[in-house]
Amino acid sequence: MLKFSQEMKLYEFEGHKVLASAGIESPFFIVCETLAQVRAARAKFKLPLVAKVQVLSGGRGKAGGVKVCSRETHLWQFAKDFLGKEFPAARGEKVKYILLAQKIDFEAQYYIAITYDTAARKPYLLFSDAGGVEIEEAARQNPESVVKIYIDPQNGPAKGDFRKFAVPFEFVQKLWEAFSKNDCRLLEINPLAKTKNGFLALDAKVILDDNGFIRHEDFDFLPKGAISAEPSQREIMAKKIDEGDYRGSAGSAFIDLDGDIAIMASGGGASLLVMDAVLAAGGKSANYTEYSGNPSREKVEKLTRIALSREGLSGCLVAGAVANFTDIFETLGGFVDGLRSIRPKVKYPIVVRRGGPRQEEAYKMLKNAARKEGFDIHLFGAETPISVAAREMVELSEKYKAGLKIDGKSGKR
Amino acid sequence: MAILINKQTRVLIQGITGKSGTQAAGELLDYGTKLVAGVTPGKGGEEVDTVPVFNTVMEALEQVGPCDASMVYVPPLLARGAAMEAIEAKIPLVHIFVEKMPVLDVAQVLSKAQKSGVRVLGPASVGAISPGEAKIGSIGGPNPSAVFSKGQVGVISKSGGMCSELAMLITRGGFGQSTVVGVGGDLLTGTSFSDLLLEFEEDQATKVVVAFGEVGGSSEIEAAKLIKEGKFTKPFIVFLAGKFAESLPKDTALGHAGAIVGLEANMEEKIRALREAGAIVAENFEDIPMLIKKAI
Repeated sequence: MLKFSQEMKLYEFEGHKVLASAGIESPFFIVCETLAQVRAARAKFKLPLVAKVQVLSGGRGKAGGVKVCSRETHLWQFAKDFLGKEFPAARGEKVKYILLAQKIDFEAQYYIAITYDTAARKPYLLFSDAGGVEIEEAARQNPESVVKIYIDPQNGPAKGDFRKFAVPFEFVQKLWEAFSKNDCRLLEINPLAKTKNGFLALDAKVILDDNGFIRHEDFDFLPKGAISAEPSQREIMAKKIDEGDYRGSAGSAFIDLDGDIAIMASGGGASLLVMDAVLAAGGKSANYTEYSGNPSREKVEKLTRIALSREGLSGCLVAGAVANFTDIFETLGGFVDGLRSIRPKVKYPIVVRRGGPRQEEAYKMLKNAARKEGFDIHLFGAETPISVAAREMVELSEKYKAGLKIDGKSGKR
Repeated sequence: MAILINKQTRVLIQGITGKSGTQAAGELLDYGTKLVAGVTPGKGGEEVDTVPVFNTVMEALEQVGPCDASMVYVPPLLARGAAMEAIEAKIPLVHIFVEKMPVLDVAQVLSKAQKSGVRVLGPASVGAISPGEAKIGSIGGPNPSAVFSKGQVGVISKSGGMCSELAMLITRGGFGQSTVVGVGGDLLTGTSFSDLLLEFEEDQATKVVVAFGEVGGSSEIEAAKLIKEGKFTKPFIVFLAGKFAESLPKDTALGHAGAIVGLEANMEEKIRALREAGAIVAENFEDIPMLIKKAI
């Protein structure tokens, strides 16, 4: 299972909403999408103000994405430099938003976060006096400056664990409330500023648990891509398949890639094996996706339509392990339903490698569909390793592409 | 012998009247597992495949006697309550089949289980099978004997599909399995690779353990640590999948907490840690039977 397929990162301005839901305040801020909005927002601040690009990757400060503007010209320049441009520290991520925040004076700044310790299987709070951008460096040089305190997930933070703590216990409770109430996987404030009027979050990094979304219909956060800030249309559509039906999953994990072999993999583990095998055979996948847990025929049909909706495909690999309880006939039936709906009709080779309940019936059905409707389907059973099926797929796709070239030269298709 | 479950294990299913619960009940009975009761609130008095259904876990235990394992087959948001009920009843092994359980609920269940001395398997775990003896969960589906066979190889995987795939590969290679366990791929799981290695170490039927490792998480690193500490001394063969994910363009991680605490490891670090500890890292998935042969 890919970790990033189970979680959603939030922009800083979205993260502040999560904090605010538990009463953790931030300096006054406005989010801007255009230069005109930046100009209009300027009037609401006393200079200096802080301008910050909104990106989903870390290392923003180091890469120049945060600027204290003591003059208007600094702000205009910053906005021109970044708004709508790719942010260098964040692979190809375009800066869609800039946040303007009131610059504030503070007495001290801290690092504070809550997340899960996967080895201890518990949430914990992490705290350091050394707030600011270089927190990892500070932790390396001076490990004692970082305090790690486990939190009982049923009862919340225990007062006794936070004696002599630089931040009042009430604040720790608020932080836990924001974390638990919103089903977070990570909630990080760096820096947390101590001011004359209390504590203010000068930044907010939040990662939400996808599995918690089911109890937060009120969430209105922007959709995010699997590995990028900006999801592709296909990624958004795939994610919607599982909404409202928890039985079996299809498309919750979908990543658009730049290859030409469509992937319909089954199973969290097998899908990784399939992707590795295509790569090892010299092929390039057009996507990553996975269905598992015996999803309905309709879910697989929808996912197939999305996976095959791309132009320029030269193959489709439908592969998974020997299923335990996934109905192979129903799920591959869904695949064929989806396949039939694609226009223009699919001509490229399709390789299927599967095993499990009702596999024989499923393969009979696929053979019939191939014969009657002229699909180029190659069937492999569980006796054929996934790696062999992947090699076969890559070879067939190369032949198909070579055939297209020849046809193209002689002017017929 | 085997780990977690055997012929004597008495099993209860929570959510037995649901679609997948009923399906699992039939499969368990067919395989010879001692399925003694089911629970669905409001459906007490009914029967599923001759198995009596009760309204609560406590009621079931009062009527049929103690159980060794409960399987949780309910919708995601009801899973916490169901698992808590089984833990409060002190059933020693609670298997959570349910997928998409919120991580906070999982943490709460695991915390309670830890305090009560109960082992949780899952969430999102396909189950476990000791071939020729018994199974819990949906592992092997309606026909486990097609791929699972009795023998000396312990098998661990997060993913259910890979449990079957590994068992098939091992069976075809001429070896059988002592117990095959799917631990689930969620952020937090009740039973880790290391927990199972400790069990397999004690199990006389197990001569070698095979695991399907994956990109992300820290289970392989924890396992390597265990071997280094001398707590697991049998041959350990690991295959790691998901190399492609490391070739994806990746953003700098959002948030520092994982890096500061040192939980995250990449593929290369995992391979190095495992090899240094003396584990066998399989280059190709299909090499596993050959590596078992060498190790036994």
